[in-house]
Amino acid sequence: MTMTESPPSEAAESSAAPLPAVGGLYDWLTTSDHKAIGRIWLRFGALSLLFFSVIGVLISFERLDADAIDVFGGVNSYFQMWSLYRFGIVLMVAIPLFVGLATVITPMQVGSTNIAFPRAALAAAWGYVLGSLITVISVLSGGGWGALDGVSGDEADAIRLTLLGTGMVMVSIILGTICVATTVVSLRTSGMGLTKVPLFAWSMLVAGSVWVLTLPVAIANIAILYIDLSGGAGLFVGAPNPSFDVYAQLAWILDQPAVYAAAVPVLGVAGSIIPVVAKGRQVSHEAMMILIGLAGLLAIGGWSQPFFGDERDTLVYIAFGVAALVPVLASLGGNGATLVAGEAPVGIPPAHMVGALGSMLLFLAATAAGALRVIDPLDLIGTTADTGVLNLVAVAAILGALGGWWFWAPKTDGRLFSGIQGLGAMTVLLLGGVLLGATDMIAGFVDTPDVLLASADDSLGDAMIVLSMVGSIVVLLGVLGALGAIALAYVKPGEADDDPWGGHTLEWATATPPPAGNFAEPPARVRSEAPLLDETPGDEGGES
Amino acid sequence: MTATTTQLAAPAIRRPRTVLVGTMFASGAALMTYFGVLAVYVSERADARDAGEEWFPEGVIELGPSGWIFWTLVLAAFTVQWAVQAIRNDDRPNAYIALALTGMFGAAVFNQLWFIINDTGFALAGTQGQFLFFVMTGTYIVFLIGAVVFLALTTMRALFGQFGPSQDDGVAAAAMFWHAVSVMYWVTWIAIFVTK
Repeated sequence: MTMTESPPSEAAESSAAPLPAVGGLYDWLTTSDHKAIGRIWLRFGALSLLFFSVIGVLISFERLDADAIDVFGGVNSYFQMWSLYRFGIVLMVAIPLFVGLATVITPMQVGSTNIAFPRAALAAAWGYVLGSLITVISVLSGGGWGALDGVSGDEADAIRLTLLGTGMVMVSIILGTICVATTVVSLRTSGMGLTKVPLFAWSMLVAGSVWVLTLPVAIANIAILYIDLSGGAGLFVGAPNPSFDVYAQLAWILDQPAVYAAAVPVLGVAGSIIPVVAKGRQVSHEAMMILIGLAGLLAIGGWSQPFFGDERDTLVYIAFGVAALVPVLASLGGNGATLVAGEAPVGIPPAHMVGALGSMLLFLAATAAGALRVIDPLDLIGTTADTGVLNLVAVAAILGALGGWWFWAPKTDGRLFSGIQGLGAMTVLLLGGVLLGATDMIAGFVDTPDVLLASADDSLGDAMIVLSMVGSIVVLLGVLGALGAIALAYVKPGEADDDPWGGHTLEWATATPPPAGNFAEPPARVRSEAPLLDETPGDEGGES
Repeated sequence: MTATTTQLAAPAIRRPRTVLVGTMFASGAALMTYFGVLAVYVSERADARDAGEEWFPEGVIELGPSGWIFWTLVLAAFTVQWAVQAIRNDDRPNAYIALALTGMFGAAVFNQLWFIINDTGFALAGTQGQFLFFVMTGTYIVFLIGAVVFLALTTMRALFGQFGPSQDDGVAAAAMFWHAVSVMYWVTWIAIFVTK
C-alpha cells in the first residue's frame, strides 16, 4: 500500500505560507483573509476618527457664542453637524474600530484558521465604508437627521439618503458582528469551552449580541421614518417638513442605556491586556465574564425609544442607569486585583496598559455620569449632560480600541507601534476625554441646553463651554498623536517578535505577521483561559 | 506496504455548525427588526385609542384571509421540518418534495397578503393606522421573500448533493429562518388581525 495523501504535518506546513500581499484594489475587494478584512474596518475607522474629531472641535467653537453662527453659517447646518458628530463618533468610529479589531484578533484567540463567513465579513467591511461615505456626503449636501428650521425638497431627498446611509452602516455592523460572534461560538479550538474563551473574544460576543438585538430596532425606526418621508403623510417626521423629530426618534441609540453597548468591549480589552502586563492570570476569569455579560445586559436599550412615550421617567430607566455602574466598577476592581496579585510594571507603563486602564476609567465615569443623569431632581436630561455621557462613552471606546490596537499591532499590522508615542497620545486622549465629559456634565448642572445653540445664562456654564472646547482640542491632539504614531510605524517599521509581551492567549502562538491560516499547526488542546501559560514548564496554573 | 497506523488520515472532525449559528444570530436580528416595527404599531394604536380616535374603520380588517395565512404557515412549519428530517435520513426524494411544498406555501402566503393589502383599500399617506399597516405588511413581505430565497438556494444546493446525513446545516438553517418568519406572522396575526 502506498500513501498518496500528504501526512497531516505536511498539510499543516503548507497552510503556513506567508500572508499573500493585499495590495491592489482588486485584492482588497476580494480578499477572504480575516486579517485583511479587519484592517479595512480599522483603517477606515481611523480616518473616520480623525474626521469626527475635527467636527467635534468645530462644533465646540460654534458653541462659544450662542448669538452668532460663525462656523457653520446657519442653524440647520449647525444641527446637521451636531447630529453627524453624535451618530458618527458612535456608529462610524467607536463600534467599527472594535469590529475591526475583533475581525483580526478573535479568530486567532479562539484558535481558528479564519473568521466564519469571510465573504460576508468582507461585504460588511465595505458596506460600512460605503454607508459611512453616503451618510457624510448626504449630510454635507443638506441632509442629516431632520432640521431645526425647515427644509427644501432637495434637502428632504438628502435626509432620505442620510437615513439610508445610517441604515447601511447599521446593517454592516450587524453582519460583521454576526461573523465575529459565530466564530467565537462555533469555531473554537479543541478544549476551549465558552468559559475558557479569552475576555476580548467574550466581550465581543456579548457586545455583538447586544448590537445584533439593538441595532435592528433602530433599523425598524429608520424604515418607518424613510417610508413616511417617501410616500407617507409625514406623521412621524414632523409634517409638512422633516424636523427635529427625525433625530429625536433615533437618538435613543446615542443615549443611555443603549450607548453603553459601544463601550462594552473595553472591558474585554482591559481583561486581556492587564493579566499580560501583570504577568499572571486574571484573578477570576469567570467572574469577569459574568461582569461583562451583565454590562451587556444593562446596555440593551431598544425599549427606551420615544415611540413608546417618555420612558426616561420610568423606574426601569432609572434602575438601568444606576445599575450600569456596578459591572464596570467591579470589573475595574477585578483588573486592579490582577495587577496587585501579579508583577505590576515598574517605571513607565506600556501604552496599551494606559489605553486599557484609561478606557475603563472613562467608561466608569460615563456610567457614573449616567447614574447622576437619571436622578430626576437633578433635572439633567436634555442638558449638555446628555452629550457628556455620550462623549465619555465614545472616548472610552476609542481609547480602549486604540489600546487594543497597540497591544495587538504585531498581529493586526505585523509591526510594533511606538510605545512612547502611544503613551503620550493615550495620556492626552484620556485627559481630553475627562475634560470633555466633566465640563459637559457640570454645564448640565447649570441647565445648559443640549441641542440648541443657547447661552447657559450662567457664568459657570459659559466657562464650562470654553473648557469643553479645550477638551475637544485635546482629544483631537491625542487622536493626531495616535494616528501619527501608527503612520510612522509604516514609514519606519520596527521589528516585532511573535510574542513581544509574553501573551497568554492563542493569538500570540502565531507568527508575526500571522500567516494565511494563522497557525502553522493546529493548537494543542486548550486546558485553561490562558493556554500559553499552561505550556510554560513550572507554571502553577498549568495543572488545570 | 509501507503505511503505518500513525500515517493514516486522522478521523474526520465533525464540521462546526457555523451556518446554523450564523443563521441563529441573523434570525434574532430579523425578529428584532420586525418586532421593532410591531412595537411602534402597538404603541401608536394604544395612544390613538387612549385619545378616543378610530384606528381602522369598522369591518375593513377581516379575520378570514389572515387566518388562512396562519394555517398555511402552520403547514409550512411541518413541511420544512420534514425536509430537515429527510436530509438527515438521506431520503432525497422526500427532501425535494418537502422543500418544494414549503416554497409553494411561501408563494401562497405572499399571494394572500397581497390580496389583504388590496382588499383593505388603505393608502400609505392615509391615517397613522393605515400607514403603519403598510409598513408592517411590507416589512413582513421583505422577510418572507428572504426566507423563500434562502429556501430556494438550499434546495438548489441539495439538488447538487451538498447536503446529506452528516451535513444538514444548510437545510436546518433555512428551516430556522423559516420558523422565525412564521413566528413574525403568528404574533402579527394576534396583534393586528385578532385584536385589531
